[in-house]
Amino acid sequence: MQIERDTRGAELGPNQYEDAEGYIAPMPAGSGPRTNPLGEFPTGPAVGELLPDVVASASDGRTVDIHQDRNGQPVVLVFTRSVVW
Amino acid sequence: MENFEAAGAKVYVLSYDEAEAMADYRAAHNANFTMLSDPNSDVIRSFGILNTLIAEDDHPWYGIPYPGVYITDADGVITDKFFENNFTVRPGPEQLLAALKGEEVLLKERTGVDAKVTVEVEFEGDTLPVGLSRQIVARFFVPEGKHLYEGPVPEGLVAASIELDELSEGIIAYTPVTPQTRPMTLSGDGHTLNVYEGDVVLRLPVAQNGRAMEKDEDGRWVSINGCVRWQACDSESCDLPEEHRFSFRVPAEFSVFGDMGPGEGRVPAMNGAAHFQEMMTRRQT
Repeated sequence: MQIERDTRGAELGPNQYEDAEGYIAPMPAGSGPRTNPLGEFPTGPAVGELLPDVVASASDGRTVDIHQDRNGQPVVLVFTRSVVW
Repeated sequence: MENFEAAGAKVYVLSYDEAEAMADYRAAHNANFTMLSDPNSDVIRSFGILNTLIAEDDHPWYGIPYPGVYITDADGVITDKFFENNFTVRPGPEQLLAALKGEEVLLKERTGVDAKVTVEVEFEGDTLPVGLSRQIVARFFVPEGKHLYEGPVPEGLVAASIELDELSEGIIAYTPVTPQTRPMTLSGDGHTLNVYEGDVVLRLPVAQNGRAMEKDEDGRWVSINGCVRWQACDSESCDLPEEHRFSFRVPAEFSVFGDMGPGEGRVPAMNGAAHFQEMMTRRQT
């Protein structure tokens, strides 16, 4: 899949850049945290597939394997960019 | 969060942040979901959703995913997922809960037989901060024997839809969530169209970009105006197209963005600037 970068937008002033949807932020659309794809982009496993294994360290340091940890419950798995910025 | 527990689901939030930063976040926001740290983006890569538009030496941005949400059933099978091109906005909890619960049971007790479709339109959620999408929900109660169409439809027919006014400046609509359809071939011209059967729930995620806000002495507000359109048909004929206008005015609140320090309306600090500094340098050798 050829992924295209969405650089649409305009400079409104010092450190003020608008993107195609009118959001304003200090970096131009298509750079840094605003590196958004234009058109198609990979969204991972499809609906109907088993959720792939996820094994990672939790914030308290213990290792969590989602399929074990969920204990037969449905899952909401959020992939977020960062909780820091 | 209680709502997710009530729905019997476990919530996990995964990012490329260090576990220490996540621990700070949890404490600062009283978060009680499980936060998973993937500092080398291994899980992100294994899902195939690493943002490869970002150069490997572009710190700290390299390593983030194309953000999104997966919903599974009790067997761990993915039943729904939420991804949008613009990462500025993320789905609000209402949308995730609706996906978890699956098709809504809609039928209210109705006395007598309605000959006409009735529609209820709701803005789900109390607020619309910048950075979060909430949804406009249209519930159509469809009399037996009638159906509504999914777009696109040929000229002369009107598909069931939720549309924002052009005037709703600063309000952005995202990918609509629609129920399953079945194909139906029209007897007249042989067109095959997708029809919704039974009662229908359409959901339109909407967000605001910060320019839609009005300020008064009670706070900041956004107005969301638009209309719901539909046309009901049975196997013989169609009713006239109909529309129902809606107008919601909800508190805009402050944005949900990261907390890098003190500022108007910001949630108490989680020492974000220090963690950010760490992220700038952690991969530099």
